[in-house]
Amino acid sequence: MSGDRPPSKPLSAQEWESLIEDFQHGRDTSASSSVADLAISSVLRRDLPLPLKHSLLVFLEESADALFGPHLLGRLVEALRSVVQSPPDPAFATYALKEQMMVSTTAIFVTVVDGFEEERCARDVASLVELLLAIVNRPNHGPDRQTRAMACECLRQLERNWPCLLAEIVGHLWSLCQSERTHASQSYHLLFTQVIRDIVTCKVDVSILNTSVPLVPFNLPQWVLGPTREASALNYKELRRAMAFLLEWPQVFTPCGMMEFLHLIIPVAVALELQASMLKVQFFSMIYSYDPVLCHMVLMLYSRFLDAFDGQERQIARRLVSVSWEAQGHPVFRILALHWLLGFFSGMSNRVVERKNMVIDMASSFYPTVFDPLAVKALKLDLLALCSLCLESQKSEHVSQADSLSVVNLFKDGLVSVSAFKWMPPWSTETAVAFHTFYKFLIGSLAHSEDDSIKSKMLMDSTILRLLQGMIVEMTMEFQQLVPTIVSFINRFLGCNKHCWLGERLLQTLDEHLLPKVSVDYKLVAYFAIFDKIAENVAIPPRGLLEVLSNLVVFLVKNHGPDTGLRSWSQGIKVLGICRTMMMHHHSSRLFLRLSRLLAFTCLYFPDLEVRDNARIYLRMLVCVPGKKLRELLKLGEMLPTMAPSGESDTFFNVQIPRLSHDPRKSRNISAYVHLERVVPLLVKQSWSLALANLGFGNANADSVKGIIDSEPKSDDAVIGIASDGPISSESLNVERQLEPLRVMDAKISEMLGNLRRHFSSIPDFRHMPGIKVKILCSLRFESDPFSRTWGFSPPSDNPNAADALPAIYATVLRFSSSAPYGSIPLYRIPFLLGEPPKKSDSSVHKVNSDIHAIENGAHEDDSFRASVTIELEPLEPTPGMVDVFLETNSGNGHIIRGQLHGISVGIEDMFLKAIIPSDIPDTSVPLYYSDLFTSLWEACDGTSSFGRETFPLKGGKGVAAISGTRSVKLLEVSASSVIQSTERYLAPFVVKVTGEPLSDIVKDSGVMKDIIWKDSVPDISDDATLAGANFEGPLQLKYTDAEDDMETYANYTSRNMGCIHILIFLPPRYHLLLQMEVSDASTLVRIRTDHWPCLAYIDDYLEALYLA
Amino acid sequence: MPTGCGIRALWILNSHDAVVFSRRFPVVEKQWRVACKSENKCNGGSVDSVALPYLPSDSELASSFAERKKREGSVRGFGIRVSQSAEGSDSWVDDPVTRHVISIYINKEEGQNYLLWPLILHMKSQFCILVLPLVELGHLDSYKELCKRSDCGSAVGGVDGSLSSLLLDLPSVTGAFMVAHAIGEIISGDMAEPEVIVNASPSVGGLLDSLTGSIGISSRAKPVAAPVASSTPSNTSVGAVSSDAMKIGSRPLDKDALRTFISSSMPFGTPLDLNASNIFTIKLNGFSSADLPPADVKQPAWKPYLYKGKQKILFTIHETVAAALYDRDEIPDSISVSGQVNCRAELEGLPDVSLPLIGLNSNRIESLSFHPSAQVPEQGADKQSVMFSPPLGNFVLMRYQASCGLGPPIKGFYQLSMVSEDEGAFLFKLSLMEGYKAPLTMEFCTLTMPFPRRRIVAVDGTPSVGTISTTEHSVEWKILVSGRGLVGKSIEATFPGTVKFAPWQTQRFPYTKSFFGSMAEEDSDADTEPTNNMVNVEEYLMEKMTKDLPPVDLEEPFCWQAYNYAKVSFRIAGASLSGISIDPKSVSIYPSVKAPVEFSIQVTAGDYILWNTLGRCPSIAMPR
Repeated sequence: MSGDRPPSKPLSAQEWESLIEDFQHGRDTSASSSVADLAISSVLRRDLPLPLKHSLLVFLEESADALFGPHLLGRLVEALRSVVQSPPDPAFATYALKEQMMVSTTAIFVTVVDGFEEERCARDVASLVELLLAIVNRPNHGPDRQTRAMACECLRQLERNWPCLLAEIVGHLWSLCQSERTHASQSYHLLFTQVIRDIVTCKVDVSILNTSVPLVPFNLPQWVLGPTREASALNYKELRRAMAFLLEWPQVFTPCGMMEFLHLIIPVAVALELQASMLKVQFFSMIYSYDPVLCHMVLMLYSRFLDAFDGQERQIARRLVSVSWEAQGHPVFRILALHWLLGFFSGMSNRVVERKNMVIDMASSFYPTVFDPLAVKALKLDLLALCSLCLESQKSEHVSQADSLSVVNLFKDGLVSVSAFKWMPPWSTETAVAFHTFYKFLIGSLAHSEDDSIKSKMLMDSTILRLLQGMIVEMTMEFQQLVPTIVSFINRFLGCNKHCWLGERLLQTLDEHLLPKVSVDYKLVAYFAIFDKIAENVAIPPRGLLEVLSNLVVFLVKNHGPDTGLRSWSQGIKVLGICRTMMMHHHSSRLFLRLSRLLAFTCLYFPDLEVRDNARIYLRMLVCVPGKKLRELLKLGEMLPTMAPSGESDTFFNVQIPRLSHDPRKSRNISAYVHLERVVPLLVKQSWSLALANLGFGNANADSVKGIIDSEPKSDDAVIGIASDGPISSESLNVERQLEPLRVMDAKISEMLGNLRRHFSSIPDFRHMPGIKVKILCSLRFESDPFSRTWGFSPPSDNPNAADALPAIYATVLRFSSSAPYGSIPLYRIPFLLGEPPKKSDSSVHKVNSDIHAIENGAHEDDSFRASVTIELEPLEPTPGMVDVFLETNSGNGHIIRGQLHGISVGIEDMFLKAIIPSDIPDTSVPLYYSDLFTSLWEACDGTSSFGRETFPLKGGKGVAAISGTRSVKLLEVSASSVIQSTERYLAPFVVKVTGEPLSDIVKDSGVMKDIIWKDSVPDISDDATLAGANFEGPLQLKYTDAEDDMETYANYTSRNMGCIHILIFLPPRYHLLLQMEVSDASTLVRIRTDHWPCLAYIDDYLEALYLA
Repeated sequence: MPTGCGIRALWILNSHDAVVFSRRFPVVEKQWRVACKSENKCNGGSVDSVALPYLPSDSELASSFAERKKREGSVRGFGIRVSQSAEGSDSWVDDPVTRHVISIYINKEEGQNYLLWPLILHMKSQFCILVLPLVELGHLDSYKELCKRSDCGSAVGGVDGSLSSLLLDLPSVTGAFMVAHAIGEIISGDMAEPEVIVNASPSVGGLLDSLTGSIGISSRAKPVAAPVASSTPSNTSVGAVSSDAMKIGSRPLDKDALRTFISSSMPFGTPLDLNASNIFTIKLNGFSSADLPPADVKQPAWKPYLYKGKQKILFTIHETVAAALYDRDEIPDSISVSGQVNCRAELEGLPDVSLPLIGLNSNRIESLSFHPSAQVPEQGADKQSVMFSPPLGNFVLMRYQASCGLGPPIKGFYQLSMVSEDEGAFLFKLSLMEGYKAPLTMEFCTLTMPFPRRRIVAVDGTPSVGTISTTEHSVEWKILVSGRGLVGKSIEATFPGTVKFAPWQTQRFPYTKSFFGSMAEEDSDADTEPTNNMVNVEEYLMEKMTKDLPPVDLEEPFCWQAYNYAKVSFRIAGASLSGISIDPKSVSIYPSVKAPVEFSIQVTAGDYILWNTLGRCPSIAMPR
């Protein structure tokens, strides 16, 4: 803007001020050099006030980059000359203005002149130097001594910018320096030192005693102008003399001057190989000055000349500690001193032992005092941490160590100074310092860069870690407001690649020690931040946390009252949040049992609707989304599905894994050649199973594996369990009655009730009589070759197929056991079995294994090589599992062979039984009976059923059962024909009813299903479906629609409906699984209801395997 | 390699984060650019080549500074890594010094930003002073690494790259602190010289007076009794919330003085002399041809003028006693003395003075430090001389820390017990000057009970000696008033009474709310818990009061507001409590002149605290 002004029009004072301000705020940087020109003439004007001239000069100096070109420099020097040479005048040429003018001009030259390629530049610099030299060259002159000092400073800056600029006249400078006796002598000294330093570093060959080159007129020396400079030998003798002179006068310097001086002479001293001890003698006492700059200078010297200060480290360290005590100084210098000390110690890293001893010896001086600012306390605590580190490492080297100084004591003592953090609000500074200290003590010397597996191990069993673990548990117990702070402390480790194991470790500690101790009440919410972290961590088994959460939910339900509504809601939502975290991070099978129980309980009893709804959604997600898909969904791909629960696995969560037999060596691997196999392979390779034990939430009583209610049952036992002889506890009833609305029973319902009663009365109460058995057909065979080799038979003869050449086993006993709730499994005996002849090829194995093939061939030999085995289970719960098989047999040569074979897996389909038909039902009305039973159970298993609280006596009259239904749906996107085919093949016995004409026709034609109810008309299904459709929430509809309008889709769907297959499956000992398959052309919707919700998880897999495989 | 201490630029901001003064030093900046350029040449041109050699404009700096303030929670910041700390911020480094040596990100237009470090932050009256010293590029990179490290932090005693090693390696940071403090004194106007007491008048002025007193330009406002010890504790009695909260309504910035100071003390950005009174005297007075340099010795840079006139030499030992008295078995009382020997030597020429000190008993004196002009004696001996060449005006010859040689001048206990939510019963039982003999004189003694968070309605009770006065937030008990001092004898003083407060009001700090609000809300579940089973009034009250305590600055020793205490202030004359003394007769001057030596001693109370025996108190563990 102002660049456009003609230079003839001078600016007023105000205009200058606003221009300067614009520049400083960066508003205008596109000024031209005419501004500079204008400014220079303004400075020379007599009418402008002096302060403005000062600011103008500073302005020019600061924006020299933008304003000045080399062409203006000559004018600037001329202006300077006219100011400097004018006689003193308080209105114009004050000393202050002269000084400012010199300084600004010098600064502008330094900024603008890059090199001396342009002759003009060289000339201007020379004339500036000449002008300055003329000022300097009047030593001891009285009135202008300050100006002379400034001129020296200007020359020094020029010399610094163009090293050795003044080297040729160094002799003159020295003599000036020697003669100057006013306070300006510091500047003369510094100027001379600067030149000496440049001579030494540039290795320029000049004699510093030589004064043959005149001071003025000044010419730029060749080595500054020339592009290259030849390094030459130094005149050591002269330079040493100069140094001796310089070191003679340290007392003339101000602290700042001293700093400058030392920086200049250190390289000289190094280059001249002066004895460092000389410097030390001269300057070491500065460390006792209260000026921080001087102290720091000694430290500088120390770091440059380590050897010279050998043995004085302690003195330095003590002095630094004592600086930190000085209450008179500004706190920041106390902080700095402590930092220097820390830096000083780490600088001694090459002398580890010495440092260690020193730090330990000084331990007592690192203790904070009461009135130390918290920042100082924090740093002193850092020093104590360093000390504990030294102690720790020393301990590992020398066992004998004075007891008074232990790591634990240091830590505890240090912490006293900020111990208020325990009761202060979590944002207090004391808390921040305390956790900072925890961190420093804990992390010790674990540098992030090192590979420190050994150190990690050391840290693992370090006393501090153990102490801190205990402390953190205690703190969380006692001071709940600290929980967020502790969480962020743990987060700090978790976020670090190197130390996340530390964070995990702390979480584990909390899981192990905090969870069992917390009291379950409304205040538990304080710990939720920790719970969330635990839930996230895969390394921690979720059992403990789920238990606590379950207890909390029970507590919330029990204590719900009119004034706790909001609180119940908020805490319930938070509990579900943690559950969600778990589902997102853990393998679902680890969680399934407990989490589903927790969620089921929540969605049944929680007083708040939203919480119930959310719990239902979570439960459905957990139950309905099959394991594999859930894992894909949650992107936990790396986790193997058969991951065993870590550590002390929880007793209820039984993953069957093969165990090694403890039999003698030879028997060890008999499973390699003795095989027990299922005749009908399982559809689903069940890799995990759940054994529902005690369903109580409160106490995990492992004894009551039979699911029988204890004498003190928990509320939810009554729901799924079998009522015991005693009355249901009043406690649980209370819960139910509070929630159960009064209901009216109509005729239809009472008829259904009748059906159900009749049905249940035919189910044996397995606790008092033999229960319902499930049979699994297997076959036993063994391979001759490896058997003979192991047990010392002669190798098979040339005729391998001859029976007498084959080995045999006699009086074989198979024992079964299972950790799944299958009751006691009777053993099975096989009198004799011949070994299989060696096979020719792999394909023959396949043939042998294929029953159909064997039967078709009528190959009698094959059959004689295998014995059929029936495993009889009496399930206490319909759950898949693994049956361990132990074999005991005798070989032909008298060996007793004992060992474990591969286990037999039991699938959910093994549990599928037809419902028991009461004896008074004639054969002809069986289909009708089944159909009615289906309808009744279907109704009863509706989650909202009006049967909910009805109990049904079992056979034997002692136990009663209640129905607690769960519903689920599954959409199978397969064609109707394959649905019908698969159903006919696997589920035909359980079909009780087929409705819908198109469907009935197809099914009737194939003739597999017989003796069932057929209904040609499309019956009440639409009612049911609309009802169900209205009841089912989002997830279901999402599954089968991509269209915008759900209703429309639904209409489309029903229109293509071919009919419905109703399947009733009895699950021993007393449960049911009901499937209503709405078959349509391209997809089938399976509505599932059951009174044993845990089976839903398997059913899901089963259906997928059955129809989608 | 940068030599010495160079300042690239400095800025002064007011309480609205606007730059009110700035100064850039192009000569130092040139060194920085050259370093950047050569670094770039080595690296083959790095990304920062454009941004690095660039100083922000005032408005850029102001907005970046405001941004940092937002990021770090306050002007200074957290200093320690807390949950709010973000990667790349200063508190991420997890070190209290980052409240003083800060970094800011300057945003360039292209969306790039670059780090400016180290900025020395010094706060004085309502101004923030930022000083940017020259460092090496490597140092900047090290710091960048520290504040952007993605792991959990650095271990103590790390070999290199730690902040401690950086600071040790950077004298320019220390120098920049000195610059910042010198500038702070100028803009706040309290260029107080250490106090030296003479018997004739209560105090004598500084350097300027000794030169110009006669011509009447000593109009400069000068505090009569300059605070000798650190001034931080003095604002504790009325519960200063935080020193970050700046006082409003202060003097405007004297830019001319500032400009003068800067152009003389550090003309090119390299500080040469930071003694403001010397600089201003030179500016005002100049030199005349009558000012002759000394004949055979060099006049030091720190003594631009030589004294002429009647010769005398004055010494004052000034001690400040800090005490934490607990009256508990499990916590030992702690008493410490921080003292200094102030001096004013009106001597002609450049003489050396030898001052014999008595009572330098090494097991009582914990640290000794000296004026740069002093030759340091061997440490440890009981009696020794300090040799020094005195500058003009008042100066601190020596500083020391010591334990108290005599017993505590005021002993006793303070008990305060809340009988209800708004009423407390208290009891003081003190004994003053127990075991103290003449010439020790207690000139006055006042005790203050501050209640910064409660409004006092009434105080009931009569002390055995002295008078009571009440303000809204404190009770003051004047035990001894000036003029009626206690000479060489001890007295007992008791004060039982009750104090009534206005009902407790929950205080909400905007600071707290914005930063910790989420946590406070978490508590709401517990809040509604009925507290009917409350056993102890005091505990309940304590809980209530601590709940919304604001965090204190790291520069405070602890959260004063969290405790009940009484603070005693007094002055003792006659002898020092540390046992240090001077024998005026054996002071010798070389070359020998006859000059009278005056000597005085003054002991005042610093943080002299009686903790409520029945309440919480901050304490420390003693080394075993």
